Amino acid sequence: MLADSLIQFIVLAPGLAAILAGVFQKQMGDRLAMGLTTAVVAIAGMLSVWQLIAYTFGGDHAHGHVITLMRWIDVGGFEANWAIRIDTLSIVMMAVVTGVSALVHVYSWGYMAEDPHKARFFSYLSLFTFMMLMLVTADNFMQLFFGWEGVGLASYLLIGFWYHKKSANDASIKAFVVNRVGDFGLALGIMAVFCIFGTIEFAPMLEAIRGNEVVTPLAFAEAGPVRDLDMAFLGMNLPVLEVIGVLLFIGAMGKSAQFFLHVWLPDAMEGPTPVSALIHAATMVTAGVYLVCLVSPVYEFAPVAAAMITLVGAVTAIFAATVGMAQNDIKRVIAYSTCSQLGYMFFAAGIGAYQAAMFHLFTHAFFKALLFLGAGSVIHGMHHEQDMRRMGGVAPYMKFTYAMMLIGTIAIIGLGIPETKIGFAGFFSKDAILETAYAGGELGRMFGFLAFGLGILAALLTSFYSWRLIYMTFHGPRAEVADAAHPHDVHDDHGAAEQTHSAAVMSAHDGSHDGGHGDAHGHDHHGAHTPHESPVVMLVPLALLAVGAIFAGFFFYDPMVGHHYKEFWGEAIWTAPENTVLKAKYDVPHWVLWAPLVVTVGGFVLATFTYFFNRGFGARLAARKGPLFSLFSNKWYFDEIYQATIVRATKWLGDVFWKVGDRRIIDGLGPNGVAALVQRSSGILSKMHTGYLYHYAFVIIGALIVFGGIMLVLMQGVG
Amino acid sequence: MAGIPILTLMTFFPLAGAVLIILVRSALAGRAETASTATLMPAAFVISAATFLISLFLLIGFDPSASGYQFVEDVRWFAGVRYKMGIDGLSLVLILLTTFLTPLCILASWHSIKHRISEYVVAFLILETLMLGVFCSLDLLLFYIFFEGGLIPMFLIIGVWGGADRLYASFKFFIYTLLGSLFMLAAIVYMYIEAGTSDIEILEQTAFSSGAQTWLWLAFFASFAVKLPMWPVHTWLPDAHVQAPTAGSVILAGVLLKMGGYGFLRFSLPMFPDASQFFQPMVFVLSVIAIVYASLVAFRQTDMKKLIAYSSVAHMGYVTIGIFSFTEIGVQGAIFQMVSHGIIGGALFLIVGVIYDRMHTREIAKFGGVVNVMPVFAAIFMVFSMANVGLPGTSGFIGEITTMVGGFQASTWVAFGAALGVIFSAVYMLSLYRRVAFGEITNPDVAKLKDMTALEYATLVPLVVATILFGIAPSLIFDVTESASARVLDLFNISFGG
Repeated sequence: MLADSLIQFIVLAPGLAAILAGVFQKQMGDRLAMGLTTAVVAIAGMLSVWQLIAYTFGGDHAHGHVITLMRWIDVGGFEANWAIRIDTLSIVMMAVVTGVSALVHVYSWGYMAEDPHKARFFSYLSLFTFMMLMLVTADNFMQLFFGWEGVGLASYLLIGFWYHKKSANDASIKAFVVNRVGDFGLALGIMAVFCIFGTIEFAPMLEAIRGNEVVTPLAFAEAGPVRDLDMAFLGMNLPVLEVIGVLLFIGAMGKSAQFFLHVWLPDAMEGPTPVSALIHAATMVTAGVYLVCLVSPVYEFAPVAAAMITLVGAVTAIFAATVGMAQNDIKRVIAYSTCSQLGYMFFAAGIGAYQAAMFHLFTHAFFKALLFLGAGSVIHGMHHEQDMRRMGGVAPYMKFTYAMMLIGTIAIIGLGIPETKIGFAGFFSKDAILETAYAGGELGRMFGFLAFGLGILAALLTSFYSWRLIYMTFHGPRAEVADAAHPHDVHDDHGAAEQTHSAAVMSAHDGSHDGGHGDAHGHDHHGAHTPHESPVVMLVPLALLAVGAIFAGFFFYDPMVGHHYKEFWGEAIWTAPENTVLKAKYDVPHWVLWAPLVVTVGGFVLATFTYFFNRGFGARLAARKGPLFSLFSNKWYFDEIYQATIVRATKWLGDVFWKVGDRRIIDGLGPNGVAALVQRSSGILSKMHTGYLYHYAFVIIGALIVFGGIMLVLMQGVG
Repeated sequence: MAGIPILTLMTFFPLAGAVLIILVRSALAGRAETASTATLMPAAFVISAATFLISLFLLIGFDPSASGYQFVEDVRWFAGVRYKMGIDGLSLVLILLTTFLTPLCILASWHSIKHRISEYVVAFLILETLMLGVFCSLDLLLFYIFFEGGLIPMFLIIGVWGGADRLYASFKFFIYTLLGSLFMLAAIVYMYIEAGTSDIEILEQTAFSSGAQTWLWLAFFASFAVKLPMWPVHTWLPDAHVQAPTAGSVILAGVLLKMGGYGFLRFSLPMFPDASQFFQPMVFVLSVIAIVYASLVAFRQTDMKKLIAYSSVAHMGYVTIGIFSFTEIGVQGAIFQMVSHGIIGGALFLIVGVIYDRMHTREIAKFGGVVNVMPVFAAIFMVFSMANVGLPGTSGFIGEITTMVGGFQASTWVAFGAALGVIFSAVYMLSLYRRVAFGEITNPDVAKLKDMTALEYATLVPLVVATILFGIAPSLIFDVTESASARVLDLFNISFGG
């Protein structure tokens, strides 16, 4: 393990760099701000990745420890430190966070080259990295919450980075507010933890659950063994671990964009693409999964909460996959894919295979960041075009990007040969999840078989939408826009998209710019641009991520979910002795092992038929606007339903409270009523109203004198 | 420093300064009129800054581990009434808040107050004396005089230097507060008769009968609830804020509202414990209504100051929840929240002042795209918007989470309702920020805006530092208030045999 000072550097230096680059951006200039943040995060990334490798393969499975930095809060028993917790979970997360972040920093040198606010952008990226590190290294709920909301802030700032765009502003607020709904649950969960355990530090709380210790709650319950304890919550009498488990999971649902609280993630694609790769694919959105795994002892003894996680995860996996099939914006397809993959992670955790969830989180970071950065490369090469209907035939112009996207696609669909160790990263982790889900079902875990079934179906759709993306983007004829068979609504869309597009690049195009490819940047309409391959600085990160997308599964399968998983995870992920799902995955029937491959190939065939051999078939299908297609392409109408209910109700209530409650009732009966009454009876007030202000002061002083006099008289009587 | 009546010195220092200003002005009357006007603001700033320095001596000399009151001065005044001053940790942090904000208010008034400047600074300095007196008094009548006296300068500041509708606003302010103080005065008289003294330390030890407690509690409540303000007696606040000049709003939000919370902790809990217990559910209900209701109303406002005023009402809801949770973390959190809101609320009104001075409108719709022309301003505005929504790392978070943790232990419903405010605050604050700062510039006047001046930096940067410092190291406040909170709870618990 690394020396404490190096670990402190990894966690704290990005924060310092962010502050310096943010506050002194004028003095430092773009280059210095970018150089500083990139260098710091790159060093942190190398150190953390080295740490993970040494930890995993060096046999150096030392026990975790905590580096205490400073007391943060200590009031009425509510104590928390600023600290860095080192255990397997945080080592894995640190490597993922700083590793991807370093690559995204480098990539952004190319992607954001024309943006006038580079220093601000890099400052936000580093701020995000710092907050995410605070989240994953916390040893208590307060610091976790600090990081949790801190990444939310960074996400808000980065989604709204192009702040003159209305859509970006809408999306950033939506992301923050929907996340706050989750945070509402998380905050209540933290309060419940404190109320029951008298501490908000992870170690003593989890220790109490592991050992079923007797705890003495501050309120609502008698002292007793924690697993058997009930508490009064909102008028119900419920097991404490169920209450805590559900509340914490609501927080996880917000951050990880699970069903009902997923609506912010697709819109978050308004942010620059490197941001989508880092925050909205590889790291921040996985924080919910991390949280559930971190407090695994809670869910080991909260079957209802665990079942809820399984159900929500499985539904999200299938729901997001159906929507992903019908999107035309390349980034939105990948965003829904992320949402769906997060669903996989959750149902694995719900079933009790936290290790499998973390394993998928780990491999997913590689291939999903790869897909996003690859998409970014396409968008960059296509001059900020994101609509796949206006792409097509890009492959010859961007051979390297195409190859990288193929690797990412093969990794996410989980291609590999069952019962061997041959396959891409997704094969190892996704199949591990599906097998444990089936095993969980056999072991009587609630919703185990359902999760398995939906997971298999979602795997089919994953393969379909992933190949659809490849075909629509890279294959077929160029300049499909000019195609006469093009559905009409696309052209309408085109105009709108072009507007936001020009707004997005407007700032980039004012002043002198265009270092490398000014020749290609004519802004005439209808896709007359020639796509071009991205600069090397953007391609190198792709190559590195591709290496991970190919090999991460193969190398980390054994330590993370194989026979020796207990040695690897140690106390960081604790499961009850009765929980054997991870081992039981070796005993599932053969068809379960082969089913994912079959559906994956099936999805490939379907997509190839629809979008490769019969180009235009997909578009015709879309043009028919069948009910199922409409449901999917309109994202199951979630936005419309929320708009019609919650948003409208909030506005209406606000207006009623203000105009009726405050103005008519309170003011009408209160001060205005009094005024009217006095006016009617004497007319004095009307004189005062129009009169000079000092009258009022006089009244106050007069009243004081009168009261004082009364008092004096009374006091004489007493004294 | 024993022997020096430092509390009296500090409290009356601004008043002495005000008298000095009046004397010099009348001596110079007629001559060099403009020259003396130009020196008024600097003079007031020096006086209030000196008061701040004096208050720092209090902090240095204060013993946080000692229970009870410190720096006590005690002189018989008349009958059973004493001129008795003394402070504990609760008073100290509010005193420091007052002396810290007042100089910043003078800076904020530097260019924006253009007529009757001498009267303005005199009113402000007298107001500071009266506010400090409230927090130093250890005699009930003395407290009452400072408490009610503070209304007059505030009333004048709104009424003379306020906006177009200032008369209605000051009238409303007057009706509400007068009503509250009438009841409180009656209660004070009763207590004096009952106990034979108005010495707060003795009254704390006096056990009033349960029946009497109920009435006394309600009478004090009438006054404190209006001050805080609690729903439904809050409607004076938005009008007062909208009409008040910037500095008036800062003091109103920063200090005057806190007198309500101070009153609950100094009087209601220690002196009327049975009644406090009895009325706990009512206070909780009103607090949760305040949080949810005021947040939703804030969301629909079109005037920046009104929006922030409603946000203040919501944030004060956390204070009452913390206090009436009767837990250490809740009471400590309530005190913290008062200080924190003093900083954040004050800063938000200063921020509105910055753009109001340039645009002469507070209409949110007139803005948009301000970040393009005032990037530094936008950054500072962002810091305080986030502080106002309670982002961890700012003082706003500590105040909200601690009071909610306290509330949770009293009732999960309360925590549930209060936590809804966490969602709504993000809704109204971010939409305000977005409508003001983000988007394209549509109003040509916005395009001409210049970023902050050195003077504006001087008013806002200290507040940025304070809100982040207390967010990261809240013990700076908790350590000072710990023994005072414990003492309040001890006095409260005595009647329950605890």
